Amino acid sequence: MNAQIEQAIEILRSGSPRDVEHALETLQGVVYGFGMKVCGSHEDAQDTAQETLIRLARQLKDFPDARALSVWLYKVAKSQCLMSRRKSKFAPTQMLSLDDLMPKDAIASPDGPKSWEVTPEEIVLNHELRSRLEDAILALPKHYRLVLILRDMEQLDTREVAEVMGISEDTAKMRLHRARVFVRNALAGYHRQGAEGGRESHA
Amino acid sequence: MHDRRCKRIFAMLSEYLDGDLPVKNCSELERHLKGCEPCIAYLQSLKDTMEVCRRYRVVKAPPPSRKVREALRLALR
Repeated sequence: MNAQIEQAIEILRSGSPRDVEHALETLQGVVYGFGMKVCGSHEDAQDTAQETLIRLARQLKDFPDARALSVWLYKVAKSQCLMSRRKSKFAPTQMLSLDDLMPKDAIASPDGPKSWEVTPEEIVLNHELRSRLEDAILALPKHYRLVLILRDMEQLDTREVAEVMGISEDTAKMRLHRARVFVRNALAGYHRQGAEGGRESHA
Repeated sequence: MHDRRCKRIFAMLSEYLDGDLPVKNCSELERHLKGCEPCIAYLQSLKDTMEVCRRYRVVKAPPPSRKVREALRLALR
């Protein structure tokens, strides 16, 4: 779990007015960011942040510890996102099949299979690939998207993801793997273009 | 895919990267990786995908709304 969230919640519960303002902005950033990743729209992210933080304010004194409240925060934000006004223009509702996601071509390049030609650091700085990542995430069916965002972007552990989603850890792991492969494959197209005559390697 | 072993390994990659793969499966996967460069490359690209996701940040959030501030003010009274 993001320690920043727990710290911000602790400050809200007991801090000075100046620290409270900073903690509130931190939580706004976390929940709005989560809403943007899941919903892909500013309006829905703003609604998610507002409704979630209002509910958080009402629950501040009722939870035994900040960690439990952090998990609860994501549960509420997730529910808000699932009720979002705008439906993603991409999001299908079907299950992702691992067979379908597995690259079919078994052709390795003459020099052997290549990894990506640019580093993850460069990708995040690159506007085109940033946009490609956002599109890939929004193209995921929502229940896969949520698991990927919670685990790989919000950095919750598997148990916390399962708790937020109300699913078993095994189901969370299964969805996570398929979501990662889906996003990896969506980004791989860029690397095929970027690599010198590079072709997609299989797995 | 090359063969059925690749397909089996493919299903284990995320758990391996997360350190959640049981020891027995871990040994099987690592033995396979020694002889399968495409699987090694795919594993690395999956790891890179995780890193890209970890580094991704939404650019800037707007400030908390007036309603949120009011709810918090009431809660802290």
